[in-house]
Amino acid sequence: MAQEPKKRLDLHGVICPMNFVKTKLALEDLTPGDLLEIIIDEGDAMLNVPRSIKEEGHKIIKVIPLGETFQILIEKGQS
Amino acid sequence: MSSSVREIDLAAYKKVGMIQQKQQEYFAMRLHGVGGDFTAAQIKKVVEVAEKYGRSQIHLSTRQGIEIHFVHYTMLEEARMELEKAGIMMGACGPRVRVVTACPGEATCRWGIIDTKPVSQDLDKKYFRQDTPHKFKMAVTGCPHNCAKATENDLGIMGGILPHWQKESCTHCDLCIHSCPTQAIYQKSGEYHFDESKCIYCSICTSNCPTNSWVAAKKGYTLWIGGTMGKVPRLASRLKVLIETQDELYQLVERIIEYYQANGKKRERFGHMIDRLGEAKVKEEILSGTRA
Repeated sequence: MAQEPKKRLDLHGVICPMNFVKTKLALEDLTPGDLLEIIIDEGDAMLNVPRSIKEEGHKIIKVIPLGETFQILIEKGQS
Repeated sequence: MSSSVREIDLAAYKKVGMIQQKQQEYFAMRLHGVGGDFTAAQIKKVVEVAEKYGRSQIHLSTRQGIEIHFVHYTMLEEARMELEKAGIMMGACGPRVRVVTACPGEATCRWGIIDTKPVSQDLDKKYFRQDTPHKFKMAVTGCPHNCAKATENDLGIMGGILPHWQKESCTHCDLCIHSCPTQAIYQKSGEYHFDESKCIYCSICTSNCPTNSWVAAKKGYTLWIGGTMGKVPRLASRLKVLIETQDELYQLVERIIEYYQANGKKRERFGHMIDRLGEAKVKEEILSGTRA
């Protein structure tokens, strides 16, 4: 279960919707079932990015708060 | 046709949104558009009228309305007829129920919980221009993001949901805990709990949950009363949370407006009347239907 993320993306300071666009592009390079780890800001990013990830068919596995940011582990969905 | 601006019944004009400017021979024509909705054809007509009867000056009001400024008093009736022929009615000013404002709601917004358009249309049909002690403003907002500022209006309607956690499908990712805007969700011995006293019924948890383990147990309208900006601002008080039927909502709206009409002093906003009489008493009397 302790699968390692295939890719990590620090999106601290990257505003909406660019943070999601970058997340989406990173996910495109992975195969379904792979994990992507991103760091996003609290506030607007936390409101919008998780929902967009869900709408694109991917799944959030874990959310860990890191100060003013959050570390989010995403599993790429079946495309 | 009045031969002098002095012969005009200014109060009657004001009632239908024709407002005298400080340049006394000129008027602002305030138009009626519920929830800020106009068709493209209507906007074309507004442009035409502003060019023909005004000085091509169109003002977008703070209440989603359109005003055509600098219409000479001798041209008002003609301009009004031309607008009405295109299906654009006049607005309102003075101590009465004003045009209802609304956000786009569920029809187009990803966060919208209620369909704001039919609700704002219904309220407008029934109450627009009814006389009240002072101005009375209503707003309908699709969800607790509150874009239509329900809490800054004398009467505000806000969509909302009551979340419920389904243990079986949950994978404990903790997204709900970290995205709840009021920290109403917490974890205790491996289970999620939520504190309804902190919940604002916003639907962020149910919308975001990756496994749909947070579901809406209830969906409805939250009713706010007594909000106002102006000289003495006051945010609205919550009258009732998640009213589930439109019948109950409309019955309460009826009682609220009647209550204000019966108890408000002249030029006293609804919220200030509530503070004068006591919030608990007013709420109780409106909810129970016992009129003062």
